[in-house]
Amino acid sequence: MTDVFIGLEIHIQLLTRSKVFCSCPSGFGEEPNLHVCPVCLGYPGVLPALNRRALEFAYLTGLALKCTMAKRIHFDRKNYFYPDMAKNYQISQFHAPVGVHGNMDFDAEDGRKTIRIHDIHLEEDAGKMIHGSGKSLLDYNRAGSSLLEIVTEPDFRSGREAELFLQEFRSLVRTVGVCDGNMEEGSLRCDANVSVNKPGKGLGTKVEIKNLNSSRFVRKALEYEIRRQSRLLRTGRAIIQETRLWDEKRTRTEPMRSKEEALDYRYFPEPDLPPFCPDEQFITKVADMLTELPISRYDRYRETWELNEETARYLAEDVSRAEFFEQSVEQGADAKLAASWIKGELTKLQAKGEFSFSRRTVDPQGFSSLLRLTDAGEITAQQAKEVLQVMAETGGDPQTIIKERVITGGLDEQQLRDLASAVISQYPDTSAQIQGGNMKALGFLMGSIMKETGGAADPKASRRILLELLGIDLTK
Amino acid sequence: MTGIRELSQWRSLTRDGDSRARYQRMLQRADRDIASMLEIDVEKGFSSVLGQNSPHLQGIPFSVKDNIALSGFSFTCGSKILEPLVSPYHAGAVQKLLSAGAVPVGKANMDEFGMGSSTENSAFTVTRNPWDLDRVPGGSSGGSAASVAAGLVPFSLGSDTGGSVRQPAAFCGIYGCKPTYGRVSRYGLAAYASSLETIGILSADISMMEQVFHCISGTDERDQTTWEAVPAYQDEQGSPTAAVISDLEGMDPEIRRGYERTLEAMKSLGWKITEVSLKSLKYAMPAFYTIACAEASSNLARYTGIRYGMRHSTSAAQEEMVRMTREEGFSAEVKLRVLLGTYVLRSGFQDQYYLKAQKIRTRMKQEFDMMFSQADVLLMPVYPVQAFKAGDEGMTPMQQKVADRYTLPANLAGLPAVSFPAGIESGLPVGMQLLGPSCSEERLFSLIRKLSEVIPPPELPVRLGAEEEADD
Ligand SMILES: [Zn+2]
Repeated sequence: MTDVFIGLEIHIQLLTRSKVFCSCPSGFGEEPNLHVCPVCLGYPGVLPALNRRALEFAYLTGLALKCTMAKRIHFDRKNYFYPDMAKNYQISQFHAPVGVHGNMDFDAEDGRKTIRIHDIHLEEDAGKMIHGSGKSLLDYNRAGSSLLEIVTEPDFRSGREAELFLQEFRSLVRTVGVCDGNMEEGSLRCDANVSVNKPGKGLGTKVEIKNLNSSRFVRKALEYEIRRQSRLLRTGRAIIQETRLWDEKRTRTEPMRSKEEALDYRYFPEPDLPPFCPDEQFITKVADMLTELPISRYDRYRETWELNEETARYLAEDVSRAEFFEQSVEQGADAKLAASWIKGELTKLQAKGEFSFSRRTVDPQGFSSLLRLTDAGEITAQQAKEVLQVMAETGGDPQTIIKERVITGGLDEQQLRDLASAVISQYPDTSAQIQGGNMKALGFLMGSIMKETGGAADPKASRRILLELLGIDLTK
Repeated sequence: MTGIRELSQWRSLTRDGDSRARYQRMLQRADRDIASMLEIDVEKGFSSVLGQNSPHLQGIPFSVKDNIALSGFSFTCGSKILEPLVSPYHAGAVQKLLSAGAVPVGKANMDEFGMGSSTENSAFTVTRNPWDLDRVPGGSSGGSAASVAAGLVPFSLGSDTGGSVRQPAAFCGIYGCKPTYGRVSRYGLAAYASSLETIGILSADISMMEQVFHCISGTDERDQTTWEAVPAYQDEQGSPTAAVISDLEGMDPEIRRGYERTLEAMKSLGWKITEVSLKSLKYAMPAFYTIACAEASSNLARYTGIRYGMRHSTSAAQEEMVRMTREEGFSAEVKLRVLLGTYVLRSGFQDQYYLKAQKIRTRMKQEFDMMFSQADVLLMPVYPVQAFKAGDEGMTPMQQKVADRYTLPANLAGLPAVSFPAGIESGLPVGMQLLGPSCSEERLFSLIRKLSEVIPPPELPVRLGAEEEADD
């Protein structure tokens, strides 16, 4: 039996157009050393000029994480030598961060849980160093990008909890619009620290784990590390305070070179940047930027429309999807039907690259009228899928599409027409009876068409074409 | 008085290609003995000009201390570690001068990274004092001061971290302005001690200095520590009150005579003199060097040879390469300050050193606030001695640091201070300075102009050849 304490240190790259202290664009995957200037290359004489947008995003994140927001912040220098850091110090926040004492809710396996946030602070990113064939190569494109670090208290009890939290966190920062949350590309990065101790003994010796490139790795690494530390504890051996790296291939953590630890960062206030005190206007602006958080949407979807957990979560976790859903309901779509179609067909179309919730070819209005037509039995579900496909391709509205491209259950209008005339010539007597007013006889001709097509022909379309060919206009 | 030349004469030196080529030759010849410049290129400087916004400064040549960025020119900061570096950009202050139409003619020698008071601590050459070639021009802006005193240029941009503009100006018999912190952009000034230093002006002409200050001051979005200042005291009404420190000690007799002469001049102008004490003055030196070295240890960390500058030719791995580059590229004085700075910033020891120094600094600011609620300016000597001998006969680095005590307070408190020549003693200039409250530069210029009417600035040991100029 052991107590487990896990804390996370999450870095998010803010979606600012330019870097945090210079005007270079911040971007991913460009040609190496394309987005650099004297400032982010640390030339003599350059000074940092703080990006206003980064500051807004930092405060916005703090607001979303219910932090106590600082009335006055300043930056500090974190001094250490590393080649991918152009100045050999990182401008960060140590003494007066943007926000402290926050918290965030998420759903763990055993229900809702609140994780305390220790602090969030704004800093600059480093470049990248690539080692290979006796050479080290440096790319400073990322150097100086705006980075926000979020430090949680050691409130997690298992790797799975940390994983679920990270998923919720990712969804939160994407929803708020401060980060694209891409762990593979490194715009969301996570280090974990874990300590294991005998029950009731409080925090044990803290071990940090780095190199966690997905939330799944976070879980696996933590589970491994908990097993490792518990074993040490059980057998009475010492747990060393150290930093370990997750090795995904070997599925285990390995100690990092001890040389890079035990650094004294010699923090001191950054003299090149004046302190920032948010004024009323700034605070109002940031507050206006805050949107509803995914977990609150989730709760609302569960309560208002009684969606199941999985569907509610699926809709709530992505802001453009959630907005599409809510707008469709506003346009009169049945919530459950809309939810299921969004989760099914629209997501399928999105996966195929034919539709996107953020850049929509199908708008909620068209989508909801399509669902209404389906609901009313005007078209079958199968037909609705086809119409939706056409809507995604052309951006047209469902009524027009149904009118223009008659839905024929896999047959096109002409094929169905040919088939109907064939049936009429085959049964001239029945046709005459119909023309004479015996509408029941129409069922026989319809049945023949169904037989020919193995039931694929659309009944409404068949009926319409038969009547048209027989020269009967029921509207008169 | 404009040094040796009137404005129009300075302007004619840069007027056309032939004049510039002639000026180039004159500069090279005149600088041979004093070695004030690390690079001279009038034509390249002329081609960097960005506009002609100022009728006063248009066409006027100037030199730039080599720790201030001038695109296309060397940017060594007097250090071997940056020997091959050519600046890829202009400093904010330089850019403003270029837009005004002023013509940079080259880069001035300096003590490595501004660390020194004699310009002997340059990795490249020792600059001589034009008054006496056996003596130092002061430092760290010694190249700037010498280039002005020798009549090569009418003004120069220097930098003042703890007196580095005022002290060489005093040694060379010219004016030196250390502006209020934040009134002139530091963008493009290679940092030694960011919270203490500013770009400053050296000139033989107080009006020229005023024009240059007017041009380079103001906000710069690339330096967020700049602010739009409301100049204090535009107009002079009534007699000003000058504070003097009652128990000022340690001046050489020559300096003392210059000090007394200045006091007499003030009295003759009807100024009120009031005695004050500045208790924190005796802590200025340790506080200054604690903060300056702490900031330097961080500011100089970027010089590794990886991205620019000198790189040691070793084939060793990067960590070793960086170590060897810094070992070879920095002088002993620079290493000493970086080590001291690293020491005082260690975690667990900051209370003892760095934070204590900051407290002294705060205390000093408070004392100045008090003082300037009762007086308009403070008179102090710039340096306790006149220009000293170069080499072993001169002052040791430690003596030099102790002697910085009169100049350090303005940097610690972020206040403006302007030094001015206060007569000649034993054949060498004596320099005094006026300090004022924040943003009082305009008033300091105006008061010093009045003092200069009583104590005229000296005839300078001009070296820029007149014969050659007369050739055509
Ligand atoms: Zn940049």
